[in-house]
Amino acid sequence: MAVLNINGVSHVVDAPGDTKLLWVVREHLRLTGTKFGCGIGLCGACTVHLNGEAVRSCQLQLSDAEGATITTIEGLDPKGQHPVQKAWLELQIPQCGYCQSGQMMNAAAFLESNSSPSDAEILDAMQGNICRCSTYARIKQGVRRAAQMMQEA
Amino acid sequence: MTKHMKDLGGATRRDVLVGSAVAGTGLVVGYSVLPHVTGGAREALAAGNFEPSLFLTMEPSGIATVHITKTEMGQHVGTALAQAVAEELEIDWNDVRVDYPDSHEKWGLMITGGSWSVNWTFDRNSRIGAAARMALVEAGANMLGVPANECSAANSTVTHTSTGQSATYSEIISAGPIDRTFSEDEMKAIELKKFGEYKLVGTSVPALDIPAKINGTARYGIDVFVPNMVYGRIVTWPTRWGAMPKSVDDSAASGIDGYIKTEIIEDPTGVQRGYAIVLAESIWAAEKAADAVSVDWDLGPNASVSTADILGYAKKATADGEGFAWVIDGDTDAGMSNAATVVEAEYETSIGYHGMMEPMNCVAMEQDGVWHLFTACQWSTRCTAMTAEALGVEPANVVHHQQYAGTGFGRRLEPDAMIPAALAAKAAGRPVKLVYTREQDVMFDFHQSLTYQTVKGGINVAGDLDTMVHTVCSAWATKRQAPGFLAESVDKKGKIDPFSTNGSDHWYNVPNQYVRSIENLVGQSATPPGQLRAVAPTWTMWAVESFLDEAAHAVGRDPLEFRTSLLKAVGKNVGTPPNTVGGAERLRNALLVAAGRAGYGVKPLPANTAQGIASVTSQERGSPTWTACVAEVHVDPESGEPTVNKLTVAMDVGTAVNPDGVLAQIQGSAIYGTSRVLYENITMKDGSIEQSNFDTWTPMRINQAPEIDVNIIQNGHYPAGTGEPVVTVVGPAIANAIQAAVGARVRSWPITAEKIKAAMQEA
Ligand code: FES
Ligand code: FES
Repeated sequence: MAVLNINGVSHVVDAPGDTKLLWVVREHLRLTGTKFGCGIGLCGACTVHLNGEAVRSCQLQLSDAEGATITTIEGLDPKGQHPVQKAWLELQIPQCGYCQSGQMMNAAAFLESNSSPSDAEILDAMQGNICRCSTYARIKQGVRRAAQMMQEA
Repeated sequence: MTKHMKDLGGATRRDVLVGSAVAGTGLVVGYSVLPHVTGGAREALAAGNFEPSLFLTMEPSGIATVHITKTEMGQHVGTALAQAVAEELEIDWNDVRVDYPDSHEKWGLMITGGSWSVNWTFDRNSRIGAAARMALVEAGANMLGVPANECSAANSTVTHTSTGQSATYSEIISAGPIDRTFSEDEMKAIELKKFGEYKLVGTSVPALDIPAKINGTARYGIDVFVPNMVYGRIVTWPTRWGAMPKSVDDSAASGIDGYIKTEIIEDPTGVQRGYAIVLAESIWAAEKAADAVSVDWDLGPNASVSTADILGYAKKATADGEGFAWVIDGDTDAGMSNAATVVEAEYETSIGYHGMMEPMNCVAMEQDGVWHLFTACQWSTRCTAMTAEALGVEPANVVHHQQYAGTGFGRRLEPDAMIPAALAAKAAGRPVKLVYTREQDVMFDFHQSLTYQTVKGGINVAGDLDTMVHTVCSAWATKRQAPGFLAESVDKKGKIDPFSTNGSDHWYNVPNQYVRSIENLVGQSATPPGQLRAVAPTWTMWAVESFLDEAAHAVGRDPLEFRTSLLKAVGKNVGTPPNTVGGAERLRNALLVAAGRAGYGVKPLPANTAQGIASVTSQERGSPTWTACVAEVHVDPESGEPTVNKLTVAMDVGTAVNPDGVLAQIQGSAIYGTSRVLYENITMKDGSIEQSNFDTWTPMRINQAPEIDVNIIQNGHYPAGTGEPVVTVVGPAIANAIQAAVGARVRSWPITAEKIKAAMQEA
């Protein structure tokens, strides 16, 4: 039995300690906004926040996450109104949407560390997240727009 | 597979019924079950002779739900189709919802592909909306005690024009009952709004599927859970197709907590020969057990096939004159012998992987003799029928429940996750959730075929290309998927796959033209081919558009001027309403728009940087989307490394139902196409795909994406598909730019620095 703190709620998980955090979040706790894309840390679809840092949940085990504060897309903002989410809606960024939880989680953590990024910094920060609908042009705008909203707030 | 073809005829024409069974219960619009209704919509409904949720449902509150029988896979198709209904229904857009129903046969043929969804359904949905409006106006006029022809509808309200008396749709539906039947002729006669009269069509209303996609609540196939389910995982086959497990030793898996068993199951459909499927209580146990078990395989017929064998077969079959004619125009022999200049070239495209963001998956469950399949699927009719065949049950007892698709690109036309999920559920006696690993999704794709083409052109003394002889050799996806769609060849000597050949029948005026289509038999077995996004034009346009540049260069003409001189709406290129009205002139116009916007020929560019141009009419000659692109590419003269700086796209879409949605499709498909030609490669060795995940198959990332300038041309013609043409136009535009920049012609994919460097040394 392990206890995980996700989105401010304690969850008791009955799974072996080496279970991938991604599977715990998605398949055991059914927080399915976090997606499986590659399983090897190269697509970013599984991105969650671990103590505020964007991490690839497919690269972590349940035992790594015990005691940490975990945030998934479902908990990014209590009303789904995080500036990144607002920017994503305003600019109509998602197409199929499958990669977008990971994109938004990555962008939100990035903007916490760099509140007024340059375009080059945005591209560098977001290059770990693949989007096969190729919404890249809008993602770049979206990060810029979210940064602007965070500054205005 | 032929027995599934009966499903492909589409729905039989029937009356359209607008009615409510009991006053105040809501309004439904759908086809009658029987060809002709005698007792009115209400009686038909009471008798059950009515499929109530076919198109549109309205609640007493006035909320309308448009039922979308297409897969939502990123194109926001539900929004565009609902806009078509709402425009004619004269409903407040805030009162509109969509849903995505199951695969019951009442929905008719369910297939999403070929950018056809909006193109096919726009007119039908407009008429459904109009019929519902007419019924509401009549019922509303009745309520108000005024003649219907003195009333009009707008904003969910029927108003008596002279007195201003009005009734809302909600009031009318609540008062009910409504009972109106439209015959087929009456449906056809409805006068629809025209371009310029639209209020909602042509506006960028926000996509209805986006809110759920920003907060984690959108449910995809991979997110489905059903009670009591177990996880299934396929043990990866040693070859792409043809391997069969003989026996399994699972002793190394027996200690894994949650491991149940490993089943060997044959597949009577031939999608695979058979499976070794691990069953476990958790996905992690299934994953570990699938790695731990040891399977003894019969490797099957393809265990020694490599990419070189597939290409070798193509070259030999082409040289041997295999295949049949797809186009015979004029006299190519005479054209060639009269030619002042002859240009010849060979073009190749590599095996392609769809690279869906969400890997293939399915949850299969049996309940009271009915099988339920939960996943995103682009071709429910075919996939449920094949799963029924695998299970040995009637197709009517297999129901597909549609989910959001984490991209599709034609990959979800295939039943390959449904079948093993269902067979495993049968073996387990419990529902099974089966998810491909990324490695399995890469290796067991229904790949885009490797292709080999030759083009020979004759240019007359005036410098005009008047003769083209073109051979197209590929594996034939249609032969696997729907052999009934193979077409009689023009020379009447055999069958060919039109969906592997189209695009070669281009819209340029080349009076003497011959195209031969050849099946690659080695590729057909070793790399079972699928449809990938833009289908055949992906390769035929690559050859045609690369070749046109080579021909222009051979006679010292500018590639843009060379093309436009061949684009006149004359002869077979004149075009006919509704889809091809305007003909070749529309392609010429798109070329000029792209060229103008890009500053083609006038923009100052640095050394080793140039613009290349191409134009396409994907997806088919009969349903073209007139599209042109100027690619601006820099080539590093030392390394040969290409950098695409900018893509300028012009697309004549006729009518853009949702312009921002069209823009998103074009932006995305430009990157998808660029990624395909520059970065994506699949190769085969020993019958197995050599790439396996995003470490070896490396699609474009955000920091590699070029700037894209999109120009949407609207002229009020019928809406054209917008998700695919740009995929096909960017490749040749990039190759043409590379030649213009450094004189290097690359004729195969992927276009790499090494190939450019080698071609530079040759030039
Ligand atoms: S699934 Fe974790 S990075 Fe791709
Ligand atoms: S929105 Fe579809 S993969 Fe990114």
